[in-house]
Amino acid sequence: MTENAGSDSFVDLLINGVKVRAESHMTIVEAAWAGGVPRVTGVGCLEGMCGSCRILLRRGSAVSVALACETFAEDGIEALFLPAPSAARHQYELTDFKDGWDIQARFQEIFPEAERCRHCHGCVQSCPKGIKVEEGVALAAAGRFREAGEAFIECVMCELCDNACPEQIAPAHVGLFSRRITAFFHLRPPNLIHRLEELRQEPFSATDEKESS
Amino acid sequence: MKRGLSLQAALAAYRADSEPAPPPELIDPDALLTAYHPDYLRDGIATLAVGPNTDAHCPRELADLLQAEAYIDEVDLAGVEVTDTDVLVIGGGGAGCAAALAAAERGARVLLATKMRLGDSNTVMAEGGIQAAIEPDDSVQQHLQDTLRAGHHAGDPALVAALVGDGPEVIRWLIRQGMQFDQTASGDLHTRRAGGISAPRIVHCRDYTGLEMMRVLREAVTQHRGIEVWSQAPAVELLSNESGRKCVGAVLGSLDGQKLRIVRARSVILATGGIGRLHLHGFPTSNHLGATGDGLVLAYRMGAKLCDLDSFQYHPTGLVNPPYLSGKLVTEGVRAAGALLLNAEGRRFIDELQPRDVVSAAIIRECREGRGIHPETGGVGVWLDTARLERGQPGLIEQQFPKLLARSRIAGIDPRRDPVLVYPTLHYQNGGAVIDVDGATTVAGLYAAGEVAGGIHGHNRIMGNALLEIISFGRRAGFAAALAEHDRGPKKVTLEHVNQARRALTLAGLPLTRRAPQMLPAYTAPGKDIWKA
Repeated sequence: MTENAGSDSFVDLLINGVKVRAESHMTIVEAAWAGGVPRVTGVGCLEGMCGSCRILLRRGSAVSVALACETFAEDGIEALFLPAPSAARHQYELTDFKDGWDIQARFQEIFPEAERCRHCHGCVQSCPKGIKVEEGVALAAAGRFREAGEAFIECVMCELCDNACPEQIAPAHVGLFSRRITAFFHLRPPNLIHRLEELRQEPFSATDEKESS
Repeated sequence: MKRGLSLQAALAAYRADSEPAPPPELIDPDALLTAYHPDYLRDGIATLAVGPNTDAHCPRELADLLQAEAYIDEVDLAGVEVTDTDVLVIGGGGAGCAAALAAAERGARVLLATKMRLGDSNTVMAEGGIQAAIEPDDSVQQHLQDTLRAGHHAGDPALVAALVGDGPEVIRWLIRQGMQFDQTASGDLHTRRAGGISAPRIVHCRDYTGLEMMRVLREAVTQHRGIEVWSQAPAVELLSNESGRKCVGAVLGSLDGQKLRIVRARSVILATGGIGRLHLHGFPTSNHLGATGDGLVLAYRMGAKLCDLDSFQYHPTGLVNPPYLSGKLVTEGVRAAGALLLNAEGRRFIDELQPRDVVSAAIIRECREGRGIHPETGGVGVWLDTARLERGQPGLIEQQFPKLLARSRIAGIDPRRDPVLVYPTLHYQNGGAVIDVDGATTVAGLYAAGEVAGGIHGHNRIMGNALLEIISFGRRAGFAAALAEHDRGPKKVTLEHVNQARRALTLAGLPLTRRAPQMLPAYTAPGKDIWKA
């Protein structure tokens, strides 16, 4: 249980340029509400899953990014809500893929930047979920899509890594591509396939519950 | 409410190695529900005085919105920019995305408008999984029976048959969109049991099922050439034809300004989700910030019949503290994996895998009768004994419930070491707009899919049927909406239904002061306006 929860200590911070006095156990989102900060529209699930409440955070001279619903109010910090990420530049539809053998070639066409990682760690530092983004991108660039996708299992698509990448690799989308292509080509579960075949041969029609039970 | 133990006292008394006796046998579940389930609270229930459900009962918070005035009038539409499309989908969660993709598959031009960012929804938070009868010892028929029984036989059998029959195909479709599921060593889909179901039937992706589903669907929608997405574009009002009886589009606003846009469409699909953020009866909620019942309000004003407005799901295991996570869920999967519920005395009091409404009622009973645990930060709850689960199966929590661990880490809790304090949280709207198997509402041109629609879950939903419903019925609505016939003749769009609704309110003597849909909950401090500096 959080130790500071319920304590009455107040902190002063700036949110979107508005001076806010908040209780120290509040998240930045709660502090924004308490302080009446106008036009905070990028708030969604309030539990770190939708990736919408992206903020730029300044503590002294250190600047970082985070999710506002998982970041707590501190004295003297400044938070700025960031606009939603812009539309993805990389275009593909899974149904365009006809053959699993040329995935890597197609990946290089769609994400040509992925090979150009300069290991600046910007993506790793910006990830609010602690994902090893750089390693994941390297795995995808090497055609190891299953492992690359696994590295991104906790990705909430806040796309803060996409903003951080000087090579415009779009790591979050590389991770998602890796996961999707793995399911699309390799997930063939026998129990599901068997039931689908049974239903193809004899489509389901409901029987009255009282008769059957 | 009698006071139980303080959190410190309860933690001091707690033993992860004790062996609690089996819970007392539940002889009369109906009596338990009637005495303790929030649906049976008499205070705070209102009777509707206007609209197609006149004389029906529902919580006051919802009645106030269903019987409110619209924001706009015909005069507001002068000079507003008009966009034409075949299918307008309102809502950007799982149901909206499935509907948009299905309509686009059928060749329709689709516009998806969402109040927030695409994917900001309850779908993204769903943890446990999705039901599909795929195991050898299971059948689609058993899925049907479980769903009807758990819903106290209040669900529409035709809708439920459509839902469960779609199950296996829905999983295949999701895999084709690129969604991953957990597998066994032999490559089968891994299935879990859950409360109220007769065979292992929940397929899942760790405890990130909703996140995995939503990020895949969001990507599929944004990458689709036939779908245009407008985000931060809340629906302010629907548009009707001259008689006010057919839906022909919607008026969309914007979150960052007051600009209006008119969209004219052959069909409109409501996929706006539920009502958790109305905090019925003062309960905390597991829901997303946008769950303010907008779709119900819009549909009702246009004359769509709703059903089961007095039935809501309170999920048994909402977190009690820390306060910023109050009401947020611990997945039922944790109980399915074997975690017990213990009261302040360390005793079991209910079979943990009873249907959700029964377990919730039992928790409320324990707390009301003085066997609850009270943290200093307010609220009350019982233990969800994750520590014992970890002790019995070391590593299980990390392996199967990484989301629970990740969230706890930020909050400074370790569910592997300490039990977690839980209390029922407002989770799901069991009822909603009346639909047929194509998702069509009782208003021509208007479809509904997902939580905003009703009739499937009866008076109680079982785990894994919500994720199934949003895909099954999202796609059904999308297909039907895409194939709907063009209207011949002049395409006049009006607010005639708003005029009619206003007349009805006036005749019923109801005030016209309140406006709806609400769009966002009012969490800002008193006296502050979120729109103005």
